[in-house]
Amino acid sequence: MTEHQKDLIQKFAALAGLLALILVFSLTSDAFFSMGNGMTVALQVTSIAYLGIAATCVIIAGGIDLSVGSVLALSGVVAAMVVKAGYSVPVGMFLGLVVGAFCGFLNGFCVTRLKLPPFIATLGMMLVARGVALQITGAQAISGLGDAFGELGNGSLFRVVKTTANGFPDVVFPGIPYPVILMVILAVVVAIMLSRTTLGRHIYAVGSNSEAARLSGVHVTRVTMFTYVLSGTLAGLTGCVLMSRLVTAQPNEGVMYELDAIASAVIGGTSLMGGVGSISGTAIGAFVIGILRNGLNMNGVSSFIQQIIIGLVILLTVWVDQMRNRR
Amino acid sequence: MRNSSQDTVSRMQPAALDGKQADAGALLSLEGITKRFPSVLALDAVSFDLRRGEVHALCGENGAGKSTMMKVISGQYQPDGGRYLYKGNESRFRSTREAEAAGIAIIHQELNLIPHLTVAENIFLAREPRKGLFIHKPKLVEDARFYLNRLGVEISPDAMVKNLSVAQQQMVEIAKALSLKAEVLIMDEPTSSLTDAETEKLFKIIRELRQEGVAIVYISHRLDELAQIVDRVTVMRDGKHIATDAFADTSVDQIVARMVGRSLQDVFPPKTAVPSEDVLLSVRNLSRKNVFGPVSFDLKRGEILGFAGLMGAGRTEVARAIFGADLIDDGDIMLGGQKVTIRSPRDAIRHGIAYLSEDRKSNGLALKMNVAENITMANMQAVSGWMGHISFSAEARAAAEYVKAMDIRTPSIHKIVRLLSGGNQQKIVISKWLFRESRIMFFDEPTRGIDVGAKYAIYKLIDELSAKGIGVVVISSELPEILGMTDRVAVFHEGKLEQILNTRETSQEEIMQYASGRHPLQA
Repeated sequence: MTEHQKDLIQKFAALAGLLALILVFSLTSDAFFSMGNGMTVALQVTSIAYLGIAATCVIIAGGIDLSVGSVLALSGVVAAMVVKAGYSVPVGMFLGLVVGAFCGFLNGFCVTRLKLPPFIATLGMMLVARGVALQITGAQAISGLGDAFGELGNGSLFRVVKTTANGFPDVVFPGIPYPVILMVILAVVVAIMLSRTTLGRHIYAVGSNSEAARLSGVHVTRVTMFTYVLSGTLAGLTGCVLMSRLVTAQPNEGVMYELDAIASAVIGGTSLMGGVGSISGTAIGAFVIGILRNGLNMNGVSSFIQQIIIGLVILLTVWVDQMRNRR
Repeated sequence: MRNSSQDTVSRMQPAALDGKQADAGALLSLEGITKRFPSVLALDAVSFDLRRGEVHALCGENGAGKSTMMKVISGQYQPDGGRYLYKGNESRFRSTREAEAAGIAIIHQELNLIPHLTVAENIFLAREPRKGLFIHKPKLVEDARFYLNRLGVEISPDAMVKNLSVAQQQMVEIAKALSLKAEVLIMDEPTSSLTDAETEKLFKIIRELRQEGVAIVYISHRLDELAQIVDRVTVMRDGKHIATDAFADTSVDQIVARMVGRSLQDVFPPKTAVPSEDVLLSVRNLSRKNVFGPVSFDLKRGEILGFAGLMGAGRTEVARAIFGADLIDDGDIMLGGQKVTIRSPRDAIRHGIAYLSEDRKSNGLALKMNVAENITMANMQAVSGWMGHISFSAEARAAAEYVKAMDIRTPSIHKIVRLLSGGNQQKIVISKWLFRESRIMFFDEPTRGIDVGAKYAIYKLIDELSAKGIGVVVISSELPEILGMTDRVAVFHEGKLEQILNTRETSQEEIMQYASGRHPLQA
C-alpha cells in the first residue's frame, strides 16, 4: 500500500466517522437532519473552523498558538469601540483584523527573535490580550452597535422569503450565512496555499525539520512568522464575526476557543510534532466537534457530558493515528 | 551501606576464579545470529563468543555490523535468527534493562547520561536507593562514591554531569556499569574523544576489570592501541564474521586486510577528474573565536579537497561557516576572485555553495516528506510559477530524472524518505543540491552509516561531480577514504589548518602527524 493510499484511507476513516455521527443523530432526533439545522451547525462551526485553519498552519510549521481565544476577544472589542466612536463598520472591522495580525506578529517575534518556546510565547499573549480586552472595556460588554455591525454575522446570501396569503413571511430557503461562505473561501484558499505553493511547501519543511529547511535555503524565520501572523489575523476575523453575530462586543468571548481549534486540527490528523496535517482534515475535525455538540444538544445531553464525550473522541482519534504511524 | 557494596566486590571474585578455571567455556556466545532491516541484511549468520576475564576487540569498517551485533547482545535489538547463549542458557533479552539485570552493560560512543542530574543520580538512575517513599540521598552519594573510588577517579558524586569532560563522563558510565555488577561490558569507541593521558587511565581500569573476571568487548577504530589491552580479536565485514584470533597470533596489518577484504583499488573507483587551475573558492584567514582559525585555502574547479583531522578539530565548523550556517568573526570568502558576503545558508546557496551535513537525519532531510519534495526543497522556484504555485508535473519530472540518474532505489517519488535506506537517503540529499546547480559542494562524512556496497556508488558519484567541474570538499574521519578519493588534503588540528598536502605524495602516517599537532619535520 502506498503512502498516498494510506493517506486516503486515513481521511476516509475520519470522514466515515463524521457520516456515522450524522446518521446516528438523524435517527435519534427528528429535527437534526434538516436544511435549517444544517445551516445552524455550519454557522456554529465557523469559529472553530477559522481558528482551526489557522491552528493547522501554525502546528504544521512546528508551533502552537494558545492566544487565539483572547486575541479574538481583543479584536472584536476594538472593532466595536471604533464603530462606537463613529467610524464605519468596515473601518472598525479592518482595525480589528489589524489588531489580530499585530498580536500574531508579536507572537512570531517572540518565537523567532527572542527564541521563546511557542507554548510560552502564546501563553503570555493569551493573558496579555485578554487583559487588554478587559481593561479597555472595563469588563463591560459593548452593545447598541447598530444593524450594520450585525450584517456580517447574521446576513446571508440567496435567502428566499415568500409572503404567504395571510401576510406572514414564509422562508423558502434560509440562505447561506456570510460566515459560512467566508469559511468555505478561507478553507479553499488556505488548502491551496498549503498544498500547491512554495510557501505551503516551506511550512511543511520547517515543521518537518527546521534545520534541514534552513540549510536548504528556506527562510525559516519568515515562514514561521507568516504562520503566526495568519493565526492572529484569522483570530481577529473570528472575533469580528462572533461579535457581529451577537451584535455585542464581549471582552469575555472566546475563552478556551484555542483548545477547540487545536482539537479540530488534531482530530483531522495534524501532528503536534509538526510537518503533518491538512485543511480538509481540519475541516472534518471542526465538523466532528460541531455536529457532536449540536446532535448531543438535540438529544438533551448535558453540556458536561458533551465535554466528556468530546474529550474521549480526541483521545480516540489521536490514539488511532498513533497506531497507524507505528506500523 | 558500604558493606553491601563491598559484598558486590567479593561476589565478583569467585566469578573471576571460575573464569580462569574454565577458560575455554564461553560466558556468552552467539551462534549464527541474523538481523535483517528493511533494506539491509545487517548481520548474516554471525557467530561470536566471549570468555570471562578477556578483552575481546571487535574490528570492522563502518557498516560492518559491529554496532548491530552489540545492540543484539545488549537487548536493544532482537535477532531474527540464530542462538544467543548466556552462561550456557539460551537467552533472549527484550530490552537493555533485561540485559543489564542479567549483567550485560554497554557504554555507547555517544554517552547516555542525563546532563542535568548529578553523577550519583546518573549512576543509580531508575535504581535509586530509597528510604520509604523518598530517595535515600546519603546512601545514593555514598554508593556512587564507592564505585568512583574503585575506579580511582576524582569525580564528586554531587557534580552535575553537564559540567564534566567527556573523559569524566565516560568514567561515570563505567562506574554505572560496575554498580550494575556487570559481567559483560561492551565499550563502543571509548577512546575516540580522550587524550593520551585519559586513554592510559582507561586502559589501566580495563586491565583491573579484566583481573576481576569481567568480560569486555572493545570496539575501536584505533587499531594501534589494541596491542596494549586486547586478548582476542574478531573481525567483521559486510555483516559477516570473518575471523577470530588470539591477538598474539595476528597483526594489525592482517586485521586491516580482513576488515577491508580487498585492496584499496577496489574500494575506490579510479579518479577520472583532473582539477583545473581556475580557483573556484578561496578562503583567507577565516576565523571564529574559540572555534577555529585562521583558515586559508583554495578550491579549484574539478578538484576534490579532503578535510582531515581528529574529532573536534574544527573541520565541520569551517564548512558550516563558509556555508553561512554559523557566523564568522573574521576573514574573507572569495568566489571566482570576487569577495562575497555570506550571512545565511540562503546567501551561500545563491552563490552555488552546497553543504551536505554529516547528520543527514537531523540536518539534511525532511524525513516526513517524500522523495520529490526533498529533491526540490532547495530549488522550489525551478518548479513553481510566478505566484509561487507549484507545478506538480515539473516537480515529478525533476524528481524522476534524479531518481534515475542517481539510481535511487525507491518504489515511487512519493515515498516518504524516512522509509528508505541510508545510501538512498544520501543520494536524495545529493540530488537536492545537484538540482540546485551547485558549483561548490561540501560533503561532511558522506559515507557515514552507509553500507559498503553503497559507499562505492557515493565515491563514484563524487568523482563524477568533480569531473563536471564542481569543486568538492570532503570531510572525512576515515583516512583511507581521504587517501582514496581526494586530490589534496587539508589537515586540521584544534581549529587550525595545519598543512595542505598533495594526496599522491602523502601517507596515512604523515596526515596523522599533522592531525595530532606534531609537525613531522620537527619530530
